Amino acid sequence: MAGITTHVLDTVNGSPGAGMRIDFSVLEGDSYRLVKTVHTNQDGRTDEMILAPEATKVGQYEILFHVREYFEKLGVELPDPPFIDEVPVRFAVFDTTQHYHVPMLATPWSCTTYRGS
Amino acid sequence: MSTHDLSRRQFLTAGAAIGAIATMPKLAEAQESGGRLTLHAIDTYFGQTRAGLQIDLSIRDGDSYRLIKTVETVERGRTEEPLLVGDELQVGRYELLMHVEEYFDKQQAELPNPPFLSNIPIRFAVYDASQKFHVPILFSPWSYSYYRGS
Repeated sequence: MAGITTHVLDTVNGSPGAGMRIDFSVLEGDSYRLVKTVHTNQDGRTDEMILAPEATKVGQYEILFHVREYFEKLGVELPDPPFIDEVPVRFAVFDTTQHYHVPMLATPWSCTTYRGS
Repeated sequence: MSTHDLSRRQFLTAGAAIGAIATMPKLAEAQESGGRLTLHAIDTYFGQTRAGLQIDLSIRDGDSYRLIKTVETVERGRTEEPLLVGDELQVGRYELLMHVEEYFDKQQAELPNPPFLSNIPIRFAVYDASQKFHVPILFSPWSYSYYRGS
């Protein structure tokens, strides 16, 4: 499988990060152009791939995770402005035959991402 | 007044004096220990951070980030000076842009072209300028992690 996928994990609650808003953009020239906004499902994944294999090109991409909004909806008390708010993950696709799985492990005080599988 | 009372009073007086002395360094420390922003960049690929990782510190200004300064890590992934100290630290939204592509190129790590990660934006906010904000960042060509440290 090729293309781009993600998976949000809420490591405060030890659960999938369900209902998190995600903006997906592609770098064009000097700026990122928004391609789509999606929300994670009950499993913390997206119903459709972030980017299907046939649409994936070599290039620079951004997945913006709305972490503050997610924890606010859960009723977590956060400082203002919150330590972590919107988290952009910028990465490159260098081979369109490969799959790029980019998980986000989030708390209001930390986040982790990596190339997963 | 019994001798017992007297000695107790002397003891209390002495205790108060010792207490006053003990609080003096604390006051000095409090004045010195205003807010500050520090970072620690940890290379989890080679297991040790070499000097020379470029990091751009910016603050959010309207819709964009305005560069405050560019620093380079010294040995072990710290910066020579704190990034911001005292009055320099303001409530606001900050970005540390980590030039990891350039760093791993210099270390001659074999990476694809373009590499999976090139310039990593680490975004966080300072919500109380009197506090210390320490931001450790663990990074490799394939992953990164950051958190509010201490």
